[in-house]
Amino acid sequence: MRILLVEDDAILGDGILAGLKLAEHAVDWVRDGEAARLALLDHPYEACVLDLGLPKRDGISVLKELRERGNRLPVLILTARDSSADKIAGLDAGADDYLTKPFDLAELLARLRALVRRAAGEARPTLEHGGVVLDPASRQVTFNGQTVALSAREYALLDDLLRHQNHIRTRAQLEESIYAWGEETGSNTVEVFVHHLRKKFGADFIRTVRGLGYQLGDSN
Amino acid sequence: MTDGSLDSGRVPSLRWRLLILVSIASLLIMVLASAFSYRRARHEVQELMDGQMAKTAQLMLAQVMLGEEHLADLTAHIAGIRGLNVRKNQLTLEYQIGKVDGAVLARSAQAPSTPLSSALGFSTISENGESWRSLILEASDGSHRIQIAESIPKRDKEALEIAAKTVQPMFYIFPLLLLAIYVSVRRGLKPIDDLASDVATRSSDNLTPLAARGVPREVQPLVVAINRVLFRLGYSLESERRFTADAAHELRTPLAAARIQAQVALLSPDAERRNHALAQTLSGLDRAARLVEQMLRLARLDPLAQLPQRQSINLVDLVQRVAAGVQDATPHARIELDLPESAQSIDGNADLLEVALRNLLDNAIRFSPDESEVTVFLRSAGGALVLGVDDNGPGVDPEELPRLMERFYRGASVTAEGSGLGLTIVCRIAELHGATLELNNRTGGGFEARLCWRG
Repeated sequence: MRILLVEDDAILGDGILAGLKLAEHAVDWVRDGEAARLALLDHPYEACVLDLGLPKRDGISVLKELRERGNRLPVLILTARDSSADKIAGLDAGADDYLTKPFDLAELLARLRALVRRAAGEARPTLEHGGVVLDPASRQVTFNGQTVALSAREYALLDDLLRHQNHIRTRAQLEESIYAWGEETGSNTVEVFVHHLRKKFGADFIRTVRGLGYQLGDSN
Repeated sequence: MTDGSLDSGRVPSLRWRLLILVSIASLLIMVLASAFSYRRARHEVQELMDGQMAKTAQLMLAQVMLGEEHLADLTAHIAGIRGLNVRKNQLTLEYQIGKVDGAVLARSAQAPSTPLSSALGFSTISENGESWRSLILEASDGSHRIQIAESIPKRDKEALEIAAKTVQPMFYIFPLLLLAIYVSVRRGLKPIDDLASDVATRSSDNLTPLAARGVPREVQPLVVAINRVLFRLGYSLESERRFTADAAHELRTPLAAARIQAQVALLSPDAERRNHALAQTLSGLDRAARLVEQMLRLARLDPLAQLPQRQSINLVDLVQRVAAGVQDATPHARIELDLPESAQSIDGNADLLEVALRNLLDNAIRFSPDESEVTVFLRSAGGALVLGVDDNGPGVDPEELPRLMERFYRGASVTAEGSGLGLTIVCRIAELHGATLELNNRTGGGFEARLCWRG
């Protein structure tokens, strides 16, 4: 899934970016509050990791503006202060969760999964459809009980479709979801990955809605 | 004083001082008053006794004028009078009755044998080593004379007894007086005791000022002074706390960065990503180390009241040394020197000045575009010696200029990873050298930091 990372510290930002990428997420990294505001206006993200101390515009104000627009994007804040005042301010401004620096990469990933799951109204930690089970925690995919190996992009595409069951996803939406900024996108890459997934889970697993996009097929 | 308690054995106590002084003064005054009363009482008693003698003499003389016949038995009659308990050493009535020419008609046994023809009135006479107070009176017709005499030692003894009895009660009262003094002193010093217990019972983090109301005027200056100290203490404690909190906060980010990068390195499947993450881990740790070093430096500089190891320093040499060092560390930097021909010496600490100049130079290089020139200059202008660093960077938002020397302040638009302490340290070093740090945007663009020694 596509995540916005807002962190001004070069080394920390680079580390979180790398960590999220290792978990097959598409990540956009911005380094100040103003850039964060613009990115949130323009792109559909599944989650946002937001540092509070930022140049140009602080994290709390970015968060407040986001919520004022009615955006329910799951937001996890990073705070360097141990005092509860910062956390309370962050949560009250609309954050869904927080982590105090320094934190564990695995915990960051787990909290993000939980946030996204809750935002989707899901109780179960796994995503399932038609015999396909995707476990975001272990990033394992099984089909009828058998583990299936997927490439990073195939996994990201499957993840997006499973999260948006009963929705038609356009090619542009899917591209946004699986690619971060500046990543090369071939003209027909989404089609290629859809083709790969159909090969692995059956031709009916993904339905093409002509002129619109793709949707998971009927589960049976 | 290690534990804050007083060695009460050696420290004088105000209460005891007061008690002892007031008691001694009271005692002295009482002794003086007693001596005075004693003397007066004695004198009055003597006068009283003289009066008594005069009345007795008058009465007896009047009797004698009525007839001489019964005088022969007078002594026996007096001795036979009843109703008196004779005390030992009591003053006895001694008399001589006779004619003007000196013939004695009657006399008491112990009466002195002064001739009755002596001068009239009171006199002191001495006979056989015994002194007497004597009064001689003469009848109005000049027929008879009487002499009444009292033994002076006996009179004195009597007078002494009476006077002593007058003074005595004062000495019974003395312990009561001491008690009254003690209670008064205690009560009088109570506000001080209260103040002491107020100070003693407060917890170490209670730095609210002492209540100045109800405190005696004499103690007010002390309370004001203590409150002033409390205020300063509170201020420095607060800034310590803030510094500790800031320090912990500032260290969290580089540590978080190092930790995340290390985890990424562990998880990275390929060597390229792993190496990158490891290099980043090292950078994060380096930054944390640099931050700690800067914080320690500031912590050491902060409490200094004056420079350690002050010596004469040639600033021209110092600039060249520092510039060479910075050039070695950052080969891409373009450092220009604008120095006077002659040596410019000031009194100071060379190590600290090097730190200050290096910080300014590092800042200038960090915030300037690559390949742009950074100039270090030293010149004396209008009696002031100025050591400055110019750069051709973007400068600083004028609103942020006053905040640049604050601890951990980094410009709002700055993403570079400084400690936020560099200029604070430079400012402190300048202070210790009697110089000022002036930060300004240059008119032609760029930023300029100056250390100014004004004459």
